[in-house]
Amino acid sequence: MSTVGRGFALAVIAAIAGFLVVPLLIVSAPVEPVMGLVQKIFYFHVPCAIMMFLSTFVAAAGSLSYLFKGAERGDRLAHAAGELGVLFGACVLVTGPLWGRKAWGVWWQWDARLTSSLLLFLILNGYLLARRYGGPAGKKLAAALSLFAAVDVPLVYKSVDIWRTVHPQTTVVPSLDPAMRPAFWASFALITLVWGILLVLRLRLEDARATVEELQLMADDLAEES
Amino acid sequence: MKTVMHKAPRHWTAHMLAALAVLLMGGVAQAQEYVKVENVPREQLPAPQFVGAAYGFIMVAMLVYVFVVARRLAKTRGDIAELRGRLERLAGPAERR
Repeated sequence: MSTVGRGFALAVIAAIAGFLVVPLLIVSAPVEPVMGLVQKIFYFHVPCAIMMFLSTFVAAAGSLSYLFKGAERGDRLAHAAGELGVLFGACVLVTGPLWGRKAWGVWWQWDARLTSSLLLFLILNGYLLARRYGGPAGKKLAAALSLFAAVDVPLVYKSVDIWRTVHPQTTVVPSLDPAMRPAFWASFALITLVWGILLVLRLRLEDARATVEELQLMADDLAEES
Repeated sequence: MKTVMHKAPRHWTAHMLAALAVLLMGGVAQAQEYVKVENVPREQLPAPQFVGAAYGFIMVAMLVYVFVVARRLAKTRGDIAELRGRLERLAGPAERR
C-alpha cells in the first residue's frame, strides 16, 4: 500500500473511532439550562455549517483556477467540493429546524441567518445543476455560480450580527462553557476529518472519470487509424 | 352675536367626538387586556427524539453518500479496465504493422 493509501486508511479508522467516542463526549457534556437537551444538536450542527462554508470556499478557489488558468484539476476539485457543500448544507438545514421546533416553537423562520443559509444551499444546488444540464458552457457557468456562493458565505456568517434574528449569534462558540468545549472541538475535528475523507474519495472519482474520457479518446483515435 | 351662534354647535360636536373617543379607547383597552388563564396544557415536545432525528439524519446522509460515491467509483474503475483492455486489443495489430 502506498503512503497516500496508508494515510487515507488511517483517516478512515480515525473517523470510525471518532464516531464511537464523540457521541459519548456529547452525552457527558452538561445540559444547557435554558434549552435543555435539544441544545446538543449544536455539537454537529455548527461543524456541519462550517464544512458547508469550507466546501463553498474550496469550490470557489477551484473554479477561479479553472476560469483564469484553465486548470482542469481545479474544476474537478470545485465539483467535488460543491457536492460536499450540498451534503453538509442539507445536514445544516435539517438539524437547524429540528432544534428550532423545540427551542423556538417553530420549524422555520424567514430571518436573515436561515434565509441566507437556504440561499447558499440553493446556489450550490444551482452549481451542480448547471454542470449537469448546462451543456458545453455548463462548466464555466457553474464556476461563475460558485463565486457567487462564496460571496454569500460572509453574509450568512455576519447576518446574525447585522440584522435582528432569532438565531444564536456568532459569540456562542467563543463564549462556550468550558465543560462543553471538549465535546464541541472533538465533534468539530471529527466532522472536519469526515469532510477531508469525503473530499479525497470524491476527487478520486473525478480523476477516474477524467481518465475514462482520456482513454475513450485514445481508443477512438486508434479505432480510426486501424 | 353671529360669532356666538357659529361657535356653539362647534363646541357641541367637539364634546361628542371627545366622548366617543373615550368610549372607543376604553373598548380597545379592554380588548387588549391580558387575562390570566390557569391550568392551560403546555406543549410538551420530547427533546430526545429531536436530538436523535438530527444525529440520525447526519449519520444516514454520510453513509448514503459514501455508498453512492464508492459505487460510482467502482463503476468508473470498471470502465477504465475495460477501456485499457480495448486499447491493448487495438494497439496489438497497429504495433504488428
